[in-house]
Amino acid sequence: MSSEFSQQSRRRFLSNFAFASTALATGVGSWVIRPEWANAAADPIKVGIATDLTGPIGYAGNADANVAKMVVKEINDAGGLLGRPLELFIEDTASNESVAVGNVRKLIQRDKVDLVLGGITSSMRNAIKDVIVARGKTLYIYPQLYEGKECTPYLFCTGPTPAQQCDEFIPWLIKNGGKKFALPSANYVWPHTLNVYARKVIEANGGEVVFEEYYPLDQIDFSATVNRIISNKVDVVFNTVIPPGVGPFFKQLYEAGFLKNGGRLACVYYDENTLSINQPAEIEGLASCLDYFKALAPEDPVSAKIQAAYDKQFPGTFLFAAGSAATGTYRGLKLWEAAVKEAGKVDRDAVAAALDHAKIAEGPGGPAEMVPGERHCKMKMYTAVAKGGNYEIVARSAGLVEPKEC
Amino acid sequence: MDNLFGALFEIVSFGSIVVLVVLGLGIIASMMGIFNFAQGEFVLLGAYITYVVHNAGAPVWIGMAVAPFAVGALGFVLERLVVRRFYAAPIVAMLGTYALGLIIREIVRGLIGGLYISVPEPVGGSVNLGAMHFSSWRLVIILITGLVMVASYLLLSRTAFGLRIRASLENPSLARASGISTNAIYGATFAFGAALAGLAGALIVPVFSLFADLGLRFLIQGFVAVMVGGVGSFAGPVAGAAVIGTLSAALPWVIPPVIADVLVFVLAIVFIKFRPQGLVSGKGV
Repeated sequence: MSSEFSQQSRRRFLSNFAFASTALATGVGSWVIRPEWANAAADPIKVGIATDLTGPIGYAGNADANVAKMVVKEINDAGGLLGRPLELFIEDTASNESVAVGNVRKLIQRDKVDLVLGGITSSMRNAIKDVIVARGKTLYIYPQLYEGKECTPYLFCTGPTPAQQCDEFIPWLIKNGGKKFALPSANYVWPHTLNVYARKVIEANGGEVVFEEYYPLDQIDFSATVNRIISNKVDVVFNTVIPPGVGPFFKQLYEAGFLKNGGRLACVYYDENTLSINQPAEIEGLASCLDYFKALAPEDPVSAKIQAAYDKQFPGTFLFAAGSAATGTYRGLKLWEAAVKEAGKVDRDAVAAALDHAKIAEGPGGPAEMVPGERHCKMKMYTAVAKGGNYEIVARSAGLVEPKEC
Repeated sequence: MDNLFGALFEIVSFGSIVVLVVLGLGIIASMMGIFNFAQGEFVLLGAYITYVVHNAGAPVWIGMAVAPFAVGALGFVLERLVVRRFYAAPIVAMLGTYALGLIIREIVRGLIGGLYISVPEPVGGSVNLGAMHFSSWRLVIILITGLVMVASYLLLSRTAFGLRIRASLENPSLARASGISTNAIYGATFAFGAALAGLAGALIVPVFSLFADLGLRFLIQGFVAVMVGGVGSFAGPVAGAAVIGTLSAALPWVIPPVIADVLVFVLAIVFIKFRPQGLVSGKGV
């Protein structure tokens, strides 16, 4: 504490004061982070982040905002983009679509940002995409894993799609779990659409779906479901029930002896954050398939470097995790950086044309490439299994996996 | 047959969880005549205290023992500072207590970083009877719910303190004239209701994990239970909670869960339409 105070200087106080007054002036939930060399001759390039800093998924939004701060600082420290510094504008979408639309409009109309990256849930993307892309005439990057089928021009997706999460994962599950699948799901768009794709892959690989059922989003008692899973002798529970229901659901499955009888849990949004919902024994052997796990660090030096940089700058509860869209945010900003470099300007059409085939050699989990014409991203996918409260990587895609969208 | 017993156990266990949560709410609503919208957050606080104590390295059951007292004490303080100003205006009391709940909920959300955190149960595993598995902790919850219900009933119906509470409810001015400090009684009743919520939170957190909206989830169910059961008596809310809890656990066994969720409320509304006074009418225990 004392060492921190001793570093306080008048200059530092003034800069903090300026920061605080900017925050006040732009309203609660708006954060403007100016580059340290803002007095450079050229105007800064403005990067807008619209994410859920507050509300139920605030843990994910804060992680995304942290990643954006980290990447923007990295770019600025390396001399900026096209000789211009980046200026970061962060708006809170508050896990609430109507609040979000207003705040995103601020980014577009007041701050006139050159790019908006953000939105975590699909409902949020659908609420803000028109404000950004159609009326706002601005480029939009959506970073989260999702159900696919988003083919709006100028909207680029950098998170995994159902094809990327199922094509290699479901054959692995059939080999390492069994052929009889249950699809318990939360009743909203992502599980509905993902299940259609998953069912196709399950059946194409010789498996069968024993039951597919949808629950209210706040259901927390799953005794009837668990009973049906046990009495149907299901091998693999391919779960898309979300918190808060997922914790009690896995617990009830465990207590009913599902894992003891050799059952396999699978859940494609499970990352490091969600591990803490249950006791390690209750989800032993749970398999997930994502573009990044922290467990990759020992085998991939690039991932290890990014993870270490994040942990150093942002120690605390907001983890750098794939299910929070943190990796998609990193990838999205880096791909956009590559596209701006190629285009040589920040004009929307020029950047979109370059982003259409942008590539990065280094990212969390490995390289990534936009698939020309699809506005989705090819990336490496990993299958990990929970063991004693940590993930262990058990399978890696041979190369970059196709998103198969649009 | 096995299946039937399994189903019955699960339904009874969820029913008793709802009863446990509603008990405190019902006592405050019936004995004081105000709806405490912060009740869900008292449940959340009980859960949070259990987590904090466990996180500090102490066994979980110590947290569970501390939680009702800590939440009861907080309830006492809040009644003194805030809630007692609302007795004259029950509608305003709803808004006031809702605001209290909102503040508590968002503070806890900040403290736990908006995450979902597991808390282990003191008695883990399951009891096996043939091919059936009964979760041991759910058995414990059923037992404790029974004990707490009996104890609360005896407290209200058989002790001098219970008599004073009922007197203060039925005729406050006469109670005051007879030398009962209704202020002190209201404070104690509110604290008791809060303590029951704290206990409920502590007991259910191993089942549902700790998250900021834990209490909110039960609040709506709790109010429907109180409405169905009838305000004014101790037995009313308990009976209502048993009905609502059992229904919402039983319906998903026979019809699609998404419909079951709505149907519980539709049935409750229809019931109240035809019997507005609730299952148990009249004041008393």
